[in-house]
Amino acid sequence: MARVHLPSGLTRHTGGVETVDVDAARVPDLIAALRDLFPQIADRLEEMAVAIDGEIYADPGYQPLRADSEVHLVPRIAGG
Amino acid sequence: MVAIRYETPRSVSEAVRLMAADPGARVLAGGTDLLVQFRTGVRQPSAFVDIKRIPELMSIAIDAHGLRLGAATPAAVIGEHAELRRLWPGLAESVRLIGSTQIQGRGSVGGNLCNASPAADTTCALIVNRAECVIAGPNGERTVPVEAFSIAPGRTVLQPGELLVAIRVPRPAARTSDAYLRLIPRTEMDIAVAGAAASVTLDAAGLCTTARVAIGAVAPTALRVPAAEQALVGSRLDEASLKRAADAASAAARPIDDKRGTTAYRRTVAGVLTRRAAAIAAARAREQGSHP
Amino acid sequence: MTAPRDFKYVGTRPIRHDGVDKVTGRASYGADAAWPGMLHGFVLRSPHAHARIVSIDTGAAEAVPGVHAVITGKDLPETTATIALGEAAIDLRDIGDNVLAKTKTLYHGHAVAAVAATTIDIAREAAAAIEVVYDVLEPVTGIDRALGAGAPILHPALVTKGAAGPDAGGPTNIASRMELKRGDVDAGFAEADLVVEREFRTPMVHQGYIEPHACIARCGEDGRAVVWCTTQGPFVVRDACAAIVGLDPANVKVVPSEIGGGFGGKIVVYLEPLALALARKARRPVKIVMGRDDVFRATGPTSGSKVRVKLGAKRDGTIVAASASLWYEAGAYAGSPVGAGAMCMLAAYKVPNFFIEAYDVVVNKPKVAAYRAPGSPIAAFAVESVVDEIARELKIDPIELRLMNANAEGDRAPYGPKYGPIGLAQILEAARAHPHWRAPLGANQGRGFAVGFWFNAGMNSSATVTLNSDGSAAVVTGNPDIGGTRAAQAMMAAEELGIPVERVRSNVGDTDGSGFTDVTGGSRVCYATGMAVIRAAEDAREQLRARAATIWNVSKDAVGWENGRAIPPAGTEKASPMTVAELTAKMTQTGGPIVGRASLYAPMAGPAFGAHICDLEVDPETGRSRIVRYTAFQDVGKAVHPSYVEGQMQGGVAQGIGWALNEEYIYSADGVMENAGFLDYRMPVASDLPMIETVIVEVANPLHPYGVRGVGEVPIVPPLAAVANAMRDATGIRFTELPLSPPRVLEAIEAAAAVPVEA
Ligand SMILES: Cc1cc2nc3c(=O)[nH]c(=O)nc-3n(C[C@H](O)[C@H](O)[C@H](O)COP(=O)(O)OP(=O)(O)OC[C@H]3O[C@@H](n4cnc5c(N)ncnc54)[C@H](O)[C@@H]3O)c2cc1C
Repeated sequence: MARVHLPSGLTRHTGGVETVDVDAARVPDLIAALRDLFPQIADRLEEMAVAIDGEIYADPGYQPLRADSEVHLVPRIAGG
Repeated sequence: MVAIRYETPRSVSEAVRLMAADPGARVLAGGTDLLVQFRTGVRQPSAFVDIKRIPELMSIAIDAHGLRLGAATPAAVIGEHAELRRLWPGLAESVRLIGSTQIQGRGSVGGNLCNASPAADTTCALIVNRAECVIAGPNGERTVPVEAFSIAPGRTVLQPGELLVAIRVPRPAARTSDAYLRLIPRTEMDIAVAGAAASVTLDAAGLCTTARVAIGAVAPTALRVPAAEQALVGSRLDEASLKRAADAASAAARPIDDKRGTTAYRRTVAGVLTRRAAAIAAARAREQGSHP
Repeated sequence: MTAPRDFKYVGTRPIRHDGVDKVTGRASYGADAAWPGMLHGFVLRSPHAHARIVSIDTGAAEAVPGVHAVITGKDLPETTATIALGEAAIDLRDIGDNVLAKTKTLYHGHAVAAVAATTIDIAREAAAAIEVVYDVLEPVTGIDRALGAGAPILHPALVTKGAAGPDAGGPTNIASRMELKRGDVDAGFAEADLVVEREFRTPMVHQGYIEPHACIARCGEDGRAVVWCTTQGPFVVRDACAAIVGLDPANVKVVPSEIGGGFGGKIVVYLEPLALALARKARRPVKIVMGRDDVFRATGPTSGSKVRVKLGAKRDGTIVAASASLWYEAGAYAGSPVGAGAMCMLAAYKVPNFFIEAYDVVVNKPKVAAYRAPGSPIAAFAVESVVDEIARELKIDPIELRLMNANAEGDRAPYGPKYGPIGLAQILEAARAHPHWRAPLGANQGRGFAVGFWFNAGMNSSATVTLNSDGSAAVVTGNPDIGGTRAAQAMMAAEELGIPVERVRSNVGDTDGSGFTDVTGGSRVCYATGMAVIRAAEDAREQLRARAATIWNVSKDAVGWENGRAIPPAGTEKASPMTVAELTAKMTQTGGPIVGRASLYAPMAGPAFGAHICDLEVDPETGRSRIVRYTAFQDVGKAVHPSYVEGQMQGGVAQGIGWALNEEYIYSADGVMENAGFLDYRMPVASDLPMIETVIVEVANPLHPYGVRGVGEVPIVPPLAAVANAMRDATGIRFTELPLSPPRVLEAIEAAAAVPVEA
């Protein structure tokens, strides 16, 4: 199960839940699972970058997850 | 679409004729003010009358009476003139502050005066050195002291058809020297927030016998400050008299609040610069006294 | 971990490949192109900061002889798409509206119409004949006005996105709100022995790239279009132009010119869609060049801001709690970098309890664009000033205090994930050991210290490495070369192929000539595109091994590779090692040309930290200050070309010093920028700055084969606070508002002198 940390700005829509364990082999499965769990944040999930074990993907695509991956949803950043 | 003429007179009289014939024509010296104003649409002359081909406007002559500086002589040429720098170090300093190396390759003292910016760097130094403007026009030549040349921001006493031919500066008396300081937030390529020039003459005992003080960028035109001069005359140019001169300069300043500085700031700095410029001029005059 | 490797070219300082063209003036920049039949475009801009467009009559302008086309907002289709372009989603409706106002003008200088004519004078004259009727509205000139009671509303339909605060709902100028938290802030502050709280303000500032925006575009009857322009991202220009003008991106080719600086400001489009729309209407090429005043008024600066920071520390210096509120001006449309500011501000420190809220506020000023580490310098100015106060109060050396609280590998970043290897402690130690830190100070001098953080981007990159029959190579990528990346890429290709770096030509491709590549920005090029170049060179090298195998009639696996030579398997008859040139000479006989290629999507590069020491001298009678010494320390991962790494560090410091000391957008009450030129927008000139000393620290980034991190953005983060902390040291006064211009400093010195000193 990957452990997913939700951004603090979203937790008011998740009933205060900050972390969830999700059984997902790849990022799309994980996003789908979160959407089911927290329909209120579904559209926000699309705008997030995803950090998988410390590596941040602005667009996470189909990145694989390990069974014990630590995942953070992080706002996207623009550089100069 | 407008067509603009470009004229290159070879003599003062030809230039005067061209200027008198076309009220929309403007004199072009270095162009470092005029072309910038033209490009930004501030000025749209019907003709540029380029005066740099007139030899007497491009010359520096120093004799027993003093300096005759051709109005269009580039700042860089002035800055390299050893005799001028020795006799009027403050004036040379003010010229060498203009813009940058590139700007000084073209910009002139005549242009600096005729553009009539209250912040123009050479004006104060010319005023304290009793400089006069030599003006040629359809009715012949006349002279006007530099302190009376500019009458408002962007305006001078020049009448239609007139042009500035030269600036005359009398030779300084013994134990006389000058200094000019300005404040800009940067080190170059900037415009004075305030400026001050001083010229002092000492007697053999080190007492100040005459003094001239002028401040810039703190009123619609550069100002002579008689009260500051009086504070210096008769003193040994000690801290107390310098401080009185500074206070007089601050009191005389009538600055505006704008993007370049607040009223209060400019007033204070005009005083600080006056004190420092007078101290430098005094040190230079003493230095002369020590090797006659 | 990356195995330590002996490099032959990486870490050396060859002359940059584009250097001679640039110093001799041969290089072609945005305004240098001229095409047959070309027209000149002029953009008519709003004289009002906030107004409704009632009507636009272009009849008189169209009648001017020599005018070939006039366009207004009506000539561009409504675009509603939001597409991911580069690192963040770009709302194309906003961009389309920003390049040409449709119903409202939202800042002084907002484009309302454009004219193409045979000369620029005719175009200007015709633009003056366009009649625009405005219904002038009160402008929102800053954050306080935007949030105040009865504030004019820029966008009636705007709703606050994100974790909206308690007062959300209804018409608003707050485009979004973000929160970041950890632990229990109240409990954290209760534990603190010292709490310091301050509010900071910074004005809007511009990147100040020397080259103004410029482009030329043509569009044929068949819908095929070509745009030549100065840009950090040719692919962004292609996709944005196609959407805004209503063309098929497949028909649009963008050719990037050389670029005279961008710093984030040349990622979005301004002139290109206008030139294209005019060219389509006129059926002639159209060139448009901005003047400096338009660059200031109508292209993206970075946000003005208000930031409140509160830090709590134990007597021993341990930081136990932090809270912060940030308000950044977005300009006319949503999208300030306030979220990044919030995520960066505590990145250096282990803070167990914090709460940060960040507001994106629209105001009647130009829409902000990225500017070097967008959002981070503003936030660092606030936090690093407060950390400095804590060090003073607790009488702890500012470097010691930071070392004590410094994050290290395995610690959690404030935005969530755990850090990999980071060089924060290493740069702090390097600074502490540097002679600058202990050098004596003169009269009226002060010393300041600050650190800064930036993420560094990854994203899409492509590269090809083509071998020539003489053994030379040509690299092509899609990244315009701003900071010396051609040289760095040639060095990486040379390293992999084992050929001299001078034998590699490095090229910037256009959007048809290179694989898709994200912008030159986010400090990503040497890292992500560099990685693509390395892989493309490896691909070419593998092909060379296969060719050697063919020549020697052995299997490819048996062919070794050492020092740029293919090595035959032991015992192969009459075979001796072959150089690249020897192998490429036989390309035709062994299977044809060799092109190595690679494309990739890189995760964000390793984050990087910088630490700066600044010495400043102030004239107490005029408030004028001068930077007398400055040393920048930075973890760069691996410096491929140290000179350009140092150049990036020095450039970031120079811009940061300008921001700290004199740069600011000055607005009149009716929202007109009063200093839209370099005379009164006071960027530093060369003589203002001392030689900026640089200390490169290399803690390898495991995500890159050589350990490269991003370099270009970090160095602009610490200077605002480093300068302000030095000013505090020199004057005893804590300045919380930038810039530290002489009038502001003198006023504070005089005010401090007027206050009786407390016993
Ligand atoms: C980047 C930059 C930096 C600058 N820095 C400074 C500075 O530090 N200090 C400063 O004081 N100025 C500065 N200036 C302004 C300018 O360079 C100076 O005022 C300079 O001395 C103008 O001389 P010019 O020969 O170029 O004048 P021009 O531009 O040729 O002329 C200026 C005006 O005077 C008129 N004129 C010129 N000569 C005559 C004449 N003989 N008779 C009648 N009318 C005449 C012209 O018609 C025009 O209106 C700067 C300008 C630039 C562009």
